[in-house]
Amino acid sequence: MRIREHPVLDQPEWGKKIIFSLDGKSVEGFEGEPIAAALMAAGHRVLRYTNKHREPRGIFCALGRCTDCIMTVDGQPNIRTCVTPVHDGMIVETQNAEAQQMKKERLK
Amino acid sequence: MGGGFSKAGTLFEEVAGLPMKKEDLIICRCEEITDTQICEAIRLGMTTPNEIKRFTRAGMGLCQGKTCRHLVAGILSRETGQPLSELIPSRYRPPLRPVALSTLATLIKEAPKGEKDDED
Repeated sequence: MRIREHPVLDQPEWGKKIIFSLDGKSVEGFEGEPIAAALMAAGHRVLRYTNKHREPRGIFCALGRCTDCIMTVDGQPNIRTCVTPVHDGMIVETQNAEAQQMKKERLK
Repeated sequence: MGGGFSKAGTLFEEVAGLPMKKEDLIICRCEEITDTQICEAIRLGMTTPNEIKRFTRAGMGLCQGKTCRHLVAGILSRETGQPLSELIPSRYRPPLRPVALSTLATLIKEAPKGEKDDED
């Protein structure tokens, strides 16, 4: 889902189409838009799992304050994806996804 | 609404009409600290926002309390009856935003010589 027409900002300008990877899968986005925005537009709403209870988290404040949308970007952990522009070939990983998987298996 | 923060625990019920248990209500999103845990810290003798921060870790996570510092102060005011205006806010510590170590390391090279760090 993307805003195609905005009552105040008119039509948003998008950069060129790029492809980046989320946990090994290809995702389309527009150059320069926030990583979190590109992921949301592509239908990915869980960006990380919490450290303590392994609960899913996504966009919360969307302006770089709350650090709820942090992901591992190009190997660097704890990147605030709502304020980090996406570029072609970027490698984005869900934070704590392995730990979440381990928790699921324990509960089986 | 001036009393918004002082009723952190009941905010959900009031605004969204959703019943929300205190033990489920996360106040500090980074450290996953609930309303109940903060109330417990107050019951054990913490009387200032700073003490609650050090005792529970609420406000010591990645965002450094940007979301929860007012909520914690609100709960303290709600539980102890101290007016919000009289509570001393918990300390801000640098860096206020997550900063890569490499950025800090480059800054040190450029800083003028002979300048002393501020005492805490």
